[in-house]
Amino acid sequence: MNKVKLNSASISIIPILVFIPILIELSNNFHFGGKTLFFDFILSSLRPKIDIEIITTLFLRLNETIFIALLSWFLSISLGIFFGIFSSDIFYKFSKFPIFLKHSVTFFLTILRSIHEIIWGLILLNLYGLDISMGIIAIAIPYTAINAKVIREQLENININNIKSISQISGNSFSSFLVIVWNPILKIIRNFGIYRFECALRSTAAIGLFGIGGIGTSIILSFQNLSFRELWTYLWGLAFIILATNRILKNLNIKDIHIKIKNFILIMLPIYFIFLIFIILKFFIKSNEVLFFLIKNILQIDYNFISNQLFQYTTETIFLSLLATGIAISLPPILLFTFNNQFMIVVYRSLSFLFRLIPPPILLLFLLMFNEPSISLAAVTLGLYNAAITFKLLNENILKNKNYIALKTTGASERLSWFFGSFIEQSKVYLTYCSYRADIIFRETALVGVIGSIGLGWQLNESLSSFSWDEVSIIILVYSSIAIIGEITNGKIKLILK
Amino acid sequence: MNKILVEINNLSLIYKNKNILDNINFKIYEGDKIALIGTNGSGKSSLISVLNGTRKSINGEIKIFNKSLTQLQNKQKINIGTIWQDLRLIDELSAEQNVNCGLLGRNNFLFAIKNLLNICSFEKAHKCMKLFLLNENLFDKNIEKLSGGEKQRIAIARSIIQEPNILFADEPFNNLDPKISIYIKDLLLSRKNKFHIKIPNTQLISIHRLDLLRGFNKVMGIKNGRIIFILNTNQLKKYHLKKIY
Repeated sequence: MNKVKLNSASISIIPILVFIPILIELSNNFHFGGKTLFFDFILSSLRPKIDIEIITTLFLRLNETIFIALLSWFLSISLGIFFGIFSSDIFYKFSKFPIFLKHSVTFFLTILRSIHEIIWGLILLNLYGLDISMGIIAIAIPYTAINAKVIREQLENININNIKSISQISGNSFSSFLVIVWNPILKIIRNFGIYRFECALRSTAAIGLFGIGGIGTSIILSFQNLSFRELWTYLWGLAFIILATNRILKNLNIKDIHIKIKNFILIMLPIYFIFLIFIILKFFIKSNEVLFFLIKNILQIDYNFISNQLFQYTTETIFLSLLATGIAISLPPILLFTFNNQFMIVVYRSLSFLFRLIPPPILLLFLLMFNEPSISLAAVTLGLYNAAITFKLLNENILKNKNYIALKTTGASERLSWFFGSFIEQSKVYLTYCSYRADIIFRETALVGVIGSIGLGWQLNESLSSFSWDEVSIIILVYSSIAIIGEITNGKIKLILK
Repeated sequence: MNKILVEINNLSLIYKNKNILDNINFKIYEGDKIALIGTNGSGKSSLISVLNGTRKSINGEIKIFNKSLTQLQNKQKINIGTIWQDLRLIDELSAEQNVNCGLLGRNNFLFAIKNLLNICSFEKAHKCMKLFLLNENLFDKNIEKLSGGEKQRIAIARSIIQEPNILFADEPFNNLDPKISIYIKDLLLSRKNKFHIKIPNTQLISIHRLDLLRGFNKVMGIKNGRIIFILNTNQLKKYHLKKIY
């Protein structure tokens, strides 16, 4: 037999093997305890509860959701632009700021980025209490850092000689710098920033599950009361908002989008600044006492916690993210490779939409009707949620190209022609995206960990509930370190793939 | 008389208000080896892509194996081979894996997985590659690392391993040096099977070099999307050529 030869397409499907240990563990923990609830849940999706009270709540909660998402998005975009410029090489070539500032800002942003918005939400919730503005800040912190990274990477591609030649004409290097960076930044807002609004909507829904507000709070309350019909009213409401957002964003006229963005910024700026000042003031009034309290408690480190539990939770978290990443990478191409016809595409699309719609903690609670909490169950939840996202990417971006047509003419089936003709050619791009997704999956382990009694996410929730700030600080430090190591490793993988 | 394998009636193809193919009528009989000649842009490639079913928005009727082209099932399409002008090889795969892709229509899902992982049998692929003068050291090389001529022969091998009944080839001798071109043309036109690999008995091959005409039993001239002549090769005269060049 020949030696196995790997290429990016086979690397994309081999991780499906993670299902072997997962299925073994799941089958051992399987039970029928939630059979009635399961059917009730499924049937309720077809007849959501519709009455004045529910519709009013839905309307108010969706308003809250859009409000939180919009403000956190706007905050993260504007701060992202600021920090993106401030952490780019090109800025330091044209200013007299010392270069160590760039490294400090980049490091600071990496730390902010490595912690999921749910963790920020839980921390802020425990420190400052229930408040919508905490939701806005919790989402804005990691989003700002992500946007700043994307903007920084884009600015690094600018040819420095362009700025030099413009500044020779205008005589002002700073204004030349602004002229040159304006267009790439608008391009990022157009291509990436707008898409981030949909992400902000989903994050708001997820963060709401922990009581911060918005539609998520109503979803979790209905789930806890087992009012599935009510739950589905909220879920369909959320689906409507996401679909409407998608449609509006897709229909924006690309040609005059620059003008639209400019006008939008001009209208929003005054409102935004008033609100920003309000949030910051509110935050800082409370911050003094909180900071004092934090510093006092963080220093009382419990070394028993580090030696006894931390290693176990860290290992669990790493395993959880590896298993979930395996599912997210391999499941969509495997499904399209095995069953690829028009009917199945409709089925996959519907499932993909459903898994993206139902926030992972709710999905996990639902799966817990049939299984005990375990790493595998958490991995399936997180894996399915992310596989739904990677499927959307595969389905929308992998086009039926010339090689696909060539194989179809040989009498090869649709699935084989798709895989060998279309997928293989674009599998490197797919894997590159998946390595970026792996970073996100690691951060999202907190999302399911809190619910599924697994890993650092669970311990974080426990420590927060018992106000053990020393444990919280250690957990965040570990989370952050692993996320940074993961990001560096993935960066190397991306380079190899290029 | 030999069996009719391909029958085309009143075929037209219009693209961007231009007649790419205009009222084409002809028949291909079993055993025909037809050379399709014409200038660049005369419609040779379009005709081939219509015949293998990839250009769909057409007027007229195409029957292959006595069935409408649109009604052909995958198991019947296996019997139609195509060599593409732009080769359409898969860069991520090795030469032997690419050749084995010609067998995807005849094999099951397991074969596809094995081919992807490089653990299937390459015996037939190797025979086929040797037939087209490809050295053993090229077998497991990635397509990206091969020369233009080697890629061309891999593309031919991929179509031949499929063992189709009819072969449509769009300038298959491009990128090949004169000696190898003649060798491969003679191999394709010979009626003998080699290394137990069936060489298609019926062929429509578009060519640019007229010195390669020898061996074909018919020649079809095309200009501005219209068929100007279909003759036995020995009837071809200079004035025929003047009509299309």
